[in-house]
Amino acid sequence: MKICFYPGCSFASSAGYKESTDAVCRKLGIELSEIPDWNCCGATVSFGENTLRALVLSARHFVLAESMGFGQIVTGCNACYATLRKTADILAHDPDLFEQTKHVLSQFDLDLSALPKIRHLFEIISEAMPEITGDTFRDIPIAAYYGCQLTRPHQDLDRGDHPTVLETFLEKIGFGVTEHSAKTACCGASHAVVYTGDCRVLAQRILREMEGKGAKAVTTLCPLCQFNLDQNQSKDAGPSLPVTYFTQLAGLALGLSPKELGMNKLLVTAEKVLNRP
Amino acid sequence: MNPDGKDNPFSDIGKLHHINRCIQCGTCSGSCPLSDRMDHAPRELFALIREGAYDEALASNTPWFCVSCYACMVRCPKEIPVTDLMYAFKEKARQQDTVPKNTDMPDMYDAFSKTVKQFGRITESFLMGRYGLRHPLAAAKNAPLAVKMALRHRLELKPQATADPSAFARLYDLTEKKGGKP
Repeated sequence: MKICFYPGCSFASSAGYKESTDAVCRKLGIELSEIPDWNCCGATVSFGENTLRALVLSARHFVLAESMGFGQIVTGCNACYATLRKTADILAHDPDLFEQTKHVLSQFDLDLSALPKIRHLFEIISEAMPEITGDTFRDIPIAAYYGCQLTRPHQDLDRGDHPTVLETFLEKIGFGVTEHSAKTACCGASHAVVYTGDCRVLAQRILREMEGKGAKAVTTLCPLCQFNLDQNQSKDAGPSLPVTYFTQLAGLALGLSPKELGMNKLLVTAEKVLNRP
Repeated sequence: MNPDGKDNPFSDIGKLHHINRCIQCGTCSGSCPLSDRMDHAPRELFALIREGAYDEALASNTPWFCVSCYACMVRCPKEIPVTDLMYAFKEKARQQDTVPKNTDMPDMYDAFSKTVKQFGRITESFLMGRYGLRHPLAAAKNAPLAVKMALRHRLELKPQATADPSAFARLYDLTEKKGGKP
C-alpha cells in the first residue's frame, strides 16, 4: 500500500517517531510517499495571525498531493492533522475563502481544485497491524494519551472527550491497558516553551493520574505530546513513566528491537519496562 | 447586546453571533488548562463583549493563553466555537494593535511565523534561538534541556528548509492584510 505522507516539522527530530514509523511500515508493506517540498502547516499559530495565510499554508499540500495522484494525505502529528482537516473543512464550506486561497496559490502555479481526505498515521497502522495473540507484553499496563487536538472538532476518529481507539489498538497488538481520566487533558502544547512552570503542572497532573491508575508506560501519537510528557519528568521526584510512540509499541509487538525503533532517544528510558528477552 | 453595532470592533468576526447563545455556565473556563493565567476566562470575555466593554476585551490576555486544545469547544452545552473565536480575537488584536505587552506568547508566535516566512519550515532549535533573542532568560533556562536533547541526537542545528524559501516570503506578502473572515 502506498500512502501520501506529510511529516510535519517535528517528525524527523522527535524521539524515534520516524525510525519506528519507517521500520513498522517496512514490515507491514506500507510505502510512505513523502510530499516533496512540504512546508509548515502553521500549527496553532497561523490561524491567530491571518486566516487566509493559514489556509494557504495548509492548502498548498492539497495541490501537491493531487499532483502526486493522491486523494488522501496522512500525517503523524496531532497539530498537523487538526490544522489540515480544519483547512479542508473551511474550504469545503466557504466558497469565498476557497476562491481567495485558490487565487494566492495560483501565483505559485498551483491550481487548487480538489480537497483531499486527511487521515492520521494511527488509522493506517492500526488497520494494517495483525492481531497479536502472544502474551509477551500483555502484563504491561499502558496508559493511552491522545492529547488534545486529535479527537477535537474537524476529526472523524472518535468521540471528543472519551476516545477509545488507542485502547482498542493496544489490546489488538498485545499490550495491557490502563483506564484513566487524562486521555485528552492538555499537556500545554507550544505554551510549554513560554510558560514552563504552568505547563509542567499540567504534564505532571496527567502523569500522576496515569501512574496512580497503575500504568507502567505511556503511549502517544503526537511529537509535542511526547516531548512535553517526556521532558517534564525528573529523576528525583514525581512520576517516572517512559512515553513511547504507538509506532514503537507496534514495532515491539512485531518483534523489532528497541534500537531499530529509536527508543534510545526517549528521555525517560523504556528499557526496564519494555525490554523482553 | 447589539453585535452589529457600529462601535463594536469585533462585529466583522463571522462567528461572533454565537456568543449570543452563551448561558454563562462557565464550562469553557472550567475546562481550560490555562484559565488561571487569563485576566478574563472565556465566559467572562464573552460577557464583556456582550456588555460592550470592547476596549477591555480587545486588550485582554485571554486569547494569548489559549492553547488551542479545543476542550471548551467539545464541552460547551450551547456549541459555541470558543477556540475559533480565540483565534479570531488574536487576529483582531493584531489588526487593532492591542496585543497585550505584558504577555510573552505573542513573541513566540512572531518567532514562529518569521521562521516559517524565512525557511518554510520550523526547526525547534532555531525557533527557540529566535525567541531567545528577545527572552534571553528563557533561553538560558532551556539550555539544560537542549543539552539533554543533543545527547540523544535530537537537537537539529541546521535549519530545515523548503526548496525555494523565498516563495514563502512572497506568500506572506500576498496574504498580508487580507485576513478573511474567521
